[in-house]
Amino acid sequence: MLLDTLKKVLAVYGPTGKEENVADCVKKMLEGKADSFRTDAMGNLIVEKKGWEDGKTIMFSAHMDHIGLVVTDIEDEGYLRVTSVGGVSVAMSKTRHVVFANGVEGVVVCQPTKGETETLAHLFVDIGAEDKADALTKVQLGDVCVYAPDCFMLGEHRIASPAMDDRCAVALLTELLCEIENPKNTIVGVFSTQEEVGLRGATVAAYSVNPDLGVALDVTGWGDTPEVKLPAVKLGKGAAVKFMDRSMVATPCVRDALMAAAEKAGVPYQREVLPYGGTDGAAIQHSRGGVPAGTLSIPCRYVHSACEVIDMRDMESALSILKTFVNMEF
Amino acid sequence: MDLKTLCEMNGVSGDEKEIRKAIIEQAKPLCDSVKIDRMGNVIAFKKGKKGTSHILFSAHMDEVGFIIMDATEDGLLVFRPVGGIDPRVCVSKYVVIGEKKVKGVIGAMAIHLQSREDMKRVLPFDNLYIDIGAKSKDEALGECPPGTFAYFDSAYETFGDGFVVSKALDDRVGCYNMLRLMEETYDADVTYAFVVQEEVGCRGAAGAGFAADADTVIVLEGTTAGDMGDANPVQSICNAGKGVVVSFMDGASIANNELYRDMMALAEKENIPHQAKRGATGGNDAGAYQRSAAGKKTCVLSVPCRYIHGPSSVMKMSDMENQFALAQAFARQA
Amino acid sequence: MKTDEFLRQVTALPGVTGNERAAAEFIAEAFRPFVDEVKITALNSVIAHKKGNGPKVLICAHLDEIGMMVSKIEKDGTLRMQSVGGVDPRVLPGMRVRVFARDGMLMGVVGATPPHLMREADRKNNYTFETLFVDLGLPAEEVEKKVCIGDTVCFESRYVELKNGRVSTKTVDDRGCVAIMLRAAELLQKMHHEADLYFVSTCQEEIGSYGAMTCAFDVDPDFGVAFDVCHAETPGAPRLYTSKIDSLVASKGPFLHPYLVKKLETAAKEHGVQLQTAIDPRWTSTDADELSLVRNGVPSVLMSLPIKYMHTNVETFDMHALMEGGRLLAHYLSEMDASWEEELWT
Repeated sequence: MLLDTLKKVLAVYGPTGKEENVADCVKKMLEGKADSFRTDAMGNLIVEKKGWEDGKTIMFSAHMDHIGLVVTDIEDEGYLRVTSVGGVSVAMSKTRHVVFANGVEGVVVCQPTKGETETLAHLFVDIGAEDKADALTKVQLGDVCVYAPDCFMLGEHRIASPAMDDRCAVALLTELLCEIENPKNTIVGVFSTQEEVGLRGATVAAYSVNPDLGVALDVTGWGDTPEVKLPAVKLGKGAAVKFMDRSMVATPCVRDALMAAAEKAGVPYQREVLPYGGTDGAAIQHSRGGVPAGTLSIPCRYVHSACEVIDMRDMESALSILKTFVNMEF
Repeated sequence: MDLKTLCEMNGVSGDEKEIRKAIIEQAKPLCDSVKIDRMGNVIAFKKGKKGTSHILFSAHMDEVGFIIMDATEDGLLVFRPVGGIDPRVCVSKYVVIGEKKVKGVIGAMAIHLQSREDMKRVLPFDNLYIDIGAKSKDEALGECPPGTFAYFDSAYETFGDGFVVSKALDDRVGCYNMLRLMEETYDADVTYAFVVQEEVGCRGAAGAGFAADADTVIVLEGTTAGDMGDANPVQSICNAGKGVVVSFMDGASIANNELYRDMMALAEKENIPHQAKRGATGGNDAGAYQRSAAGKKTCVLSVPCRYIHGPSSVMKMSDMENQFALAQAFARQA
Repeated sequence: MKTDEFLRQVTALPGVTGNERAAAEFIAEAFRPFVDEVKITALNSVIAHKKGNGPKVLICAHLDEIGMMVSKIEKDGTLRMQSVGGVDPRVLPGMRVRVFARDGMLMGVVGATPPHLMREADRKNNYTFETLFVDLGLPAEEVEKKVCIGDTVCFESRYVELKNGRVSTKTVDDRGCVAIMLRAAELLQKMHHEADLYFVSTCQEEIGSYGAMTCAFDVDPDFGVAFDVCHAETPGAPRLYTSKIDSLVASKGPFLHPYLVKKLETAAKEHGVQLQTAIDPRWTSTDADELSLVRNGVPSVLMSLPIKYMHTNVETFDMHALMEGGRLLAHYLSEMDASWEEELWT
């Protein structure tokens, strides 16, 4: 079930650069359900499900990482100095409950700034350490903490979590690989790393996979809360087919095929023109001699906060679109 | 070749001819093959005794400097930086220009003639000129046509308690240690990449990475040490004299987790003074290597350099020795 | 086709970044008579191959243009736009634009709240994409039926011949340089060339040179020759970053190969073509930046056609400079041979 899979992957620790646990979790769920698994130098988990002989190779990418705070120094009093891994907002981090890989918990605090604009340099993490030596028994420089995993329903269809970007797509891709039998086209599912710092994992994965076409699965913005009007995308109105964002203009043939798949599957979808952001789709499109690529998005409110909200109906729409898409003629 | 000679040679990004030639001469007798690739990188390969694994060491040959843009009617050269140079360190510095090594000084209006407002302002490159003593635009551009590169004219000196001051320590120190590393034959195959154009966006390494067979890359660098003066201790990045700096993350790459852990453990085991880089800013060739072709595992070992990207960067010799020791220990067990 | 006729037609075509098919098809046909093979790539670049036995050379100029995309359809049937590439919204008010909808092209006018209805303070602010809209002159329900989010919106285009061989039109950036390549390909019909030539009209330059990057990967050339436009002198523009409009410009800087630049200067001198110099201390902001980095690297040069009013519908250039550019390129390419590779690093 999509929701169960989602809850599973939301619970796993996996900030940018330290995605191994997520990869393990996904691999376990896909055991016996794919033709091959491999992990590359960047930590991407690459899962292949063979299609028919005359089919094409489609690379799907869903990134496993999410944003976090990395420890760069420890004060004599035991407070941790941190900086962002990916786009962490200072405002959203203040007094957040955070957790490290080894389970050590902490609270993010912003020191008085004496009138300066608050920056990451003003933040510290209090892990309850007595002093530096005590802190060093729990945490090392380079360790990364994330907003503590959390997950709850908002009303009947919506669900909130700090890791929704992009674990909802990880769940989606996992389900696609689980459920699809004997697809026409070969599916290469890339559970990618380090998207939040510049599509780094997908860049090398696209090179080694060398697909005929590619689709990134990611969250997109929203335009349906007070004073937020763009993109013209609403929660619950279906998955969004991306036309462009700051990283790429989707290749027309791929974006049209995604819309055709939605029509064929008889599920709702939206068109997305996003004034900001980027996805692994760009990494695929710009790979080697150029690969037709697009992105199927899950509308998500409050992206990069501790409560990123999506609508499960959009997830269902996306899954139907993908199941149809992988059996289309390219 | 000693570090002094390497540092005093010139090689602004895109103009690495002189330093490239010197490095090739040094590397040829020590390696199995030495070639120049299409970016202008020097790629030296040394076959291992067992050849079971293949690692790549990389250091960049280029340094920050200047390029001549134009001249004023009265013969002053208009210039811009190549690579990241703070205009505040440029005022009243000595430079040499081009292959002919024309001597010049960077001048600005005398403070007596500056208004109070001007004196508070950072003088931008628009207000700085190189004076070579020319009397006219034609004379200036005849000697130094637009596109000619210029360098800090700065001698290498030792001072204090084991310290060195020079231009271009970033990253001739890495080049120097690579030339020392290749004196030994290891079990593993080793490629030594002396790359170009790091200071203008890690461009040489991108090309070297694409063509490299090795899947593990160790970058030898010089990195910012902010350990003196008023810098907030939590923003000092690293300390000169406290050993080789190992980076877990910077603006361009996140070190391979395993490689980083192994490197720290190796330094511990071999008793090599080392420090984790206390910050995640900046960026270097590791980023380009990591994302080239199908991806590579990377880790960066740096020598702390104070006042980097200026005519007088400062490092402690012991840190350079520790960078060498850790790189060598790594090569021996690879 | 004569160069001016080619320009007249090609600049009128839509080819906003990412949706360049129409422009690509036209350009492919224009090259066909002068080369051995032409193909359009998956991302809409055009690769025209003129065979030779010497070093492989990739010559490129981009065929895409900046423009807009429909980002939202308002309740009253007006369209909101998002810029594709660097569009200055200040050039848009009152412009007649073309919206490429499902069933064909629609004419629209870029409107905004009239100044009379604005508060005094707001009148001092420029229009932005938030305040501008496209009026199609259609009832809202008709707009809903005809137009979709994601439809391309293209600048108005007119080919205006000014005095002294100056011409003003849309997309001289960079189809003017495509015309230079085409002219060179035509001249090379009657010239000897050893080099294996790939004339590439690249897509997606305006958002990051992805066409050049991917085509260069595909072709794997030994040398690169990038063409783009640069700024011609206009009143008040900084002299350091502008050139005279009457001749081409060769760039120097760390990203460009000094040997290839020197050879270019020599060719210009020998054949009596005027050539200016520009210095790029770092990135050139053209296809040359990516082209020179592909695979193991591609030693490259950059030549530019100076134009005025870049990124507008009235980009203005000098036809003589353009034609001379074609002549210089043809001579440069015809002189390239294997010896150049050996001399690159000496």
